[in-house]
Amino acid sequence: MQPQIQTRLSDQIERYLDLAATQAKLCAANMANIDTPGFQTLGMDFEAEMREALGSIEDGGAAKAVRIRAVEGLIARPDGNNVSMDRESLELAEAQLKFKTGVALLREEYQRVMDAIHADTK
Amino acid sequence: MNLFGVMDVSGSAMQAERMRAEVVSANMANAETTRTESGGPYHRQMVVFAANPTDPTFLDTFHGAQSVNAATSSARSDSEVPGGVHVAAVVEDPAAPLKRYDPGHPDAGADGYVSYPDINPLTEMVDLMGATRAYGLNGSAVQAAKGMISSALEIARS
Repeated sequence: MQPQIQTRLSDQIERYLDLAATQAKLCAANMANIDTPGFQTLGMDFEAEMREALGSIEDGGAAKAVRIRAVEGLIARPDGNNVSMDRESLELAEAQLKFKTGVALLREEYQRVMDAIHADTK
Repeated sequence: MNLFGVMDVSGSAMQAERMRAEVVSANMANAETTRTESGGPYHRQMVVFAANPTDPTFLDTFHGAQSVNAATSSARSDSEVPGGVHVAAVVEDPAAPLKRYDPGHPDAGADGYVSYPDINPLTEMVDLMGATRAYGLNGSAVQAAKGMISSALEIARS
């Protein structure tokens, strides 16, 4: 077996970070359009995307584009805009925490590889 | 996926909201203006926000909701950030001017009435408050993006 710096876990975390960044961008886009008449809140199914990404890593396939859809069940204002400030703030905080979790996990994974590299020097 | 794109999107919104606040303050400053370049009293100005079309690489599988929002967005220029917002137009309120009887005023009509802009300070203040809040909201989104970028730098630090 060939030694690899990139592990399966690091691939998975990479996809996780990508999805968290996409979620943050969606929140930013929704927040930017909070006063645009007729704008519909955009969202994604994070868990479904992550599940699919894990499957595609197993198969060795390339990352697919994220499916973005209009979020349903939100109350629209008279101008047709249904962006909710608190929903977006919460989603953004969640995306931020997910991202930081991913970074922490990735650091740990790379630290493990580093430890393996320096195993004989200890 | 580019994290700096988040800052661009929020930046476009901050720019648009600042424009809105500027228009509101112009309205309040000219609340009693009876003379303009085009003649007649000042007319209340309003900004029209339009959503920027989303990035095709970012949302290429996304058709349904895109057509929902496409109706509100105009043709795209290079300066527009995908997924952000831009000021599509600054339009004039067509409301008729308020008439106040003041025959001594130099801009009084033949009947002695002076035309004043129909500006309600309450409406303007509420609009200004909305612009300030939205500006702050997008500012905190920039803060969040900054936090994510700095934590991503931590990966390389051991």
